[in-house]
Amino acid sequence: MRSYLVTRIWQSAVTLVGVSILVFVILRVVPGDPAKMLLPEGAPQSAVDELNRHLGLREPLWVQYGIFLRSVVRGDFGQSFQYRSPALRVVVERVPATIQLALTAMALTVLVGVSIGIVAAVRQGSAYDYAGTVLAVLGQSLPNFWLGIMLMLLFGVTLRWLPTSGFHGWQSLVLPSVTLAAFPTALVARLTRSSLLEILGQEYIRTGRAKGLGEPRVVLRHALKNATIPLLTVLGLQIGTLLGGAVITESIFAWPGMGKLVVDAIFFRDFPVVQTILILSATIFVVINLLVDLLYTVIDPRIRYG
Amino acid sequence: MEKPRLSRRRFLLGSGAVLGVAAGPRAARAQARRGHIIAGLSERMLTLDPANHYSISSTSVLRHVYDPLLDVTNDDKFVPALAESWKPVNNTTWRFTLRKGVRFHDGTPFTADSVLFTLKRVRDNTKLIKSFVYQDLEDVRKDDDYTVTVTTKRPFGSLPAHLTMLGMLPPGAAGNEDAFFGKPVGTGPFRFVSWTHGDHVDLEANAKYWKPALPKVEKLTVRFIPELSTRAAALRAAEIHVIDRVWPDMVSTLRATPGIKVLDTPAVEAQRWHFQLAREAGKDPRIRKAVSLAIDRNTIIKELLLGYARPVVSPIPPGLIGHTNLGQKPYDPDKARAILKQAGYQTLTLDFVLMKDLYPKQLEIAQAVAAMLSEVGIKVSIRNLEIATAREQRTAGNYDLFFSGWAHMPHDPDWYFGQWFTRAGAEKLTRFSDPRVEQLIAEGRVPDPKVRQQKYEEIEKILWEEEPEIWPYYSVAIYAISDKLRNFEARRDYYVLLHEVGIA
Amino acid sequence: MSRLLRQPMIVAGGVLLVAVIVASAAAPWLVAADPIKPVFGQRLQPPRGLGGAAGHPLGTDNLGRDILARLLYGGRISLVLAASAVALAAGAGVVIGLAAGLVGGRLDALVMRLADVQLAFPVIMLAIAIVAVVGTSPAALVSVLALSGWVLYARTVRAAVLTIRRLDYVEAARTLGAGDLRVVAVHILPNTLAPILVLGSSQFATMVLLESGLSFLGLGLQPPQPSWGLMLAEGRDYLSNAWWLATVPGIAISLVVLGANLLGDGLRDLLDPRLRQ
Repeated sequence: MRSYLVTRIWQSAVTLVGVSILVFVILRVVPGDPAKMLLPEGAPQSAVDELNRHLGLREPLWVQYGIFLRSVVRGDFGQSFQYRSPALRVVVERVPATIQLALTAMALTVLVGVSIGIVAAVRQGSAYDYAGTVLAVLGQSLPNFWLGIMLMLLFGVTLRWLPTSGFHGWQSLVLPSVTLAAFPTALVARLTRSSLLEILGQEYIRTGRAKGLGEPRVVLRHALKNATIPLLTVLGLQIGTLLGGAVITESIFAWPGMGKLVVDAIFFRDFPVVQTILILSATIFVVINLLVDLLYTVIDPRIRYG
Repeated sequence: MEKPRLSRRRFLLGSGAVLGVAAGPRAARAQARRGHIIAGLSERMLTLDPANHYSISSTSVLRHVYDPLLDVTNDDKFVPALAESWKPVNNTTWRFTLRKGVRFHDGTPFTADSVLFTLKRVRDNTKLIKSFVYQDLEDVRKDDDYTVTVTTKRPFGSLPAHLTMLGMLPPGAAGNEDAFFGKPVGTGPFRFVSWTHGDHVDLEANAKYWKPALPKVEKLTVRFIPELSTRAAALRAAEIHVIDRVWPDMVSTLRATPGIKVLDTPAVEAQRWHFQLAREAGKDPRIRKAVSLAIDRNTIIKELLLGYARPVVSPIPPGLIGHTNLGQKPYDPDKARAILKQAGYQTLTLDFVLMKDLYPKQLEIAQAVAAMLSEVGIKVSIRNLEIATAREQRTAGNYDLFFSGWAHMPHDPDWYFGQWFTRAGAEKLTRFSDPRVEQLIAEGRVPDPKVRQQKYEEIEKILWEEEPEIWPYYSVAIYAISDKLRNFEARRDYYVLLHEVGIA
Repeated sequence: MSRLLRQPMIVAGGVLLVAVIVASAAAPWLVAADPIKPVFGQRLQPPRGLGGAAGHPLGTDNLGRDILARLLYGGRISLVLAASAVALAAGAGVVIGLAAGLVGGRLDALVMRLADVQLAFPVIMLAIAIVAVVGTSPAALVSVLALSGWVLYARTVRAAVLTIRRLDYVEAARTLGAGDLRVVAVHILPNTLAPILVLGSSQFATMVLLESGLSFLGLGLQPPQPSWGLMLAEGRDYLSNAWWLATVPGIAISLVVLGANLLGDGLRDLLDPRLRQ
């Protein structure tokens, strides 16, 4: 186990260096000129060249990467091109809003998704099951922007129960997290249902039932525990999506999160901000998936890593 | 030692407040300033450095913190701000007389040194986004504490216009600019409080502002909400008081909401779709003519923009120097077909490139144009591209027609002409080159407005004839505000200026 | 076959999907209206039951075009694109996940770290990179979409393999001399089918949305070509005054997702080796 952990950590370090090189190269190879994005339309070419020189973009690629690595080691991720302040500061400003939204949406997903899934599986074929299916279909197919704007118009404009947008207080968290959670909740509900159904049909559960164990206990003790592996996998992947992929939800609710920031930075060719976010999020991914892999062994002792 | 001093200061503060109540007019003024306005702008503010951006929203926000030498009114007049007066001494020399008794938020006085610092900084620090505009400055001299003479390498008639966008900085900022712009001070009506990048800016009233009785509110918050549906929803829910860049289709929804007013005004912006003059289609004046004749501009204005646009009668919109009336371009598809037939074009495909989400309703308008051109036998392929990619495509010349607009930012057309109709400016853009126009642009750079008007009219006649661009309409700026706002002015330049606005 | 038809979910899902596919394929024969040409003066008419004109059962869009016509023509493109992207993502993901889970060791580490790297990249960044390298084409679009989706399957299948491969009956099959492929086909694949079907049928909608989201990269479609994704995108700015623009294609997507869900769940029940008994 320990050697497994050491290997994984070493691999993770290699992965992160790989990510940094990849981001660096992709950003500089794709079409699009940062100076042109900063300067007004139709600024003279001499001004464009001069600004690119100041941004350090006229050096050879490997020199730029060397400079970048040296500064990153010192904790300096460079100056954001668009905001002209330290990229790390621009990114870190977004962390609280990003994490609050991701965690709330994740909590909603697990609570609501698993509950719907359990009810649907235990009462397979009942009205609850069908209602669950309909909800799941809606959750999977409603575009985020549609759901978001509709919720905003209803609860923000018409009823005025909740703020329409912005990041101030728990009230402003409700609509974005519901919008963001819709898709993963639906997915988790369906996964829970199908995994449970499968396991409920297995020998040992039937044995448990035959031995006279009550239904709720069978479900919770045995079946649910065994349904966690696929769930955990999908949830692990969804955390990443919730952290960095909430672009549409963030822009609909003017939520100062990381997803919108990275997409804007990509469009603006703000290299330092993109680099900072991607290296940060790669780190988070690597850590989460390591945790998920370790959790597999805890939940299902049959899984062992050599 | 520490303790008595503290209590004395507290005593002084207290007595000041008492005196304030006793003194009539001052009390009235203090009372007049109340409330908190929250604005929702479409575009993010990018920087706190007035010399380091050309963004309209940054200009709007920073106008509240810094004062420029001149302001421009909504009817395009240049009026005194920190400069009390200015005049051209000759074609390459301007003299500015400065306002006395103005102080920065940290108490330091505003003098000629501020002007020298600000202007030399923007010229010499080529990292700054505005630097390229000020390369023509030869020297900035201090005649006395309140008089500054600026000499230029060539005639710079648009200098006063450009200065409306350049806030004055205290010379103390020199040498520690990073720290200064972390907590900047200007002479403006509001003090800077805080800024969360891409989210919002908080400002508070500068009680010692040099314009009497301004600002009218205690606090001002500007939120950046790029999504129009969200801006409109926040206004309708009374969370904010003013929004900019409303689309025509949203007007009826907003008008129907109690407590909301919609205001509109013709903008200092002309839409202009430029041809690539080095590619087959753009090179041939007959094709440009046919395209122009085949576009039904009035239908676009009436049906798609619901009347929120004006027909174009010259490349420069009304109100600016150089505007003239050359008559509307006709819509005549039969003539367009005849021209194409005569020129021998059987099939013609135009590559129409758009910059994603940049102009209101651009995709709809482009699709309408494609349908109109297909009526005369021109096939249009629309390419709606991400902005950075679209610009690369333009530099590479990979387009026939490019969807774009030009807001005449400093209320002066010199920049537009200089960038798009000189060889040096256009070589990486449209490949426009015409020695006559080049000559006229140079001659139009002098300070004398009469000369400028005449030169610009001549340029416009040539352009109107040659049609290197299609000018489909002048834009209209639409704002929506809470009816609690007092004295709000819908600006033609898309600025949202709130220092003279009060709230009920 | 008869067993298949006894599954009501499969029948309902199948009928739904076939109906949508047939209607899209037969668009030119079903609607007379032009899906591309604007009709000024007829903009934003609501659907028929809500006060719209008789000629446009689902109303008209922001350029006065018949929404039903655009929906049916758009379905041709969106269905093909999304279905091929899901199939490619699932196919690649399953194979990679199986390989990683069965072979383990270096391969597993390599593949899973690759997945980490890829997940850290926003889809838009990947798409921009792919466009820069191979240019824009429908094939490039499908590969971007598939690339955004394979990890989900790979990790799910790998996790299932890790669980199953040590189960008694699998070990038994191995000792009895069953080859790797046979073990995979008979014992492992059927057991991973449930999550794969669930994921696949829910990914369809995501792919349609992504397709519209990528159109500005020159990938995907450019207007005036109709597609469900573009229709949604165009309707976005009209949600507060002409809600049907985005809602109609949204409902169409929901129907397809519903059909795929029913079919997926039904197939799962049908193929589940244990429920079969």
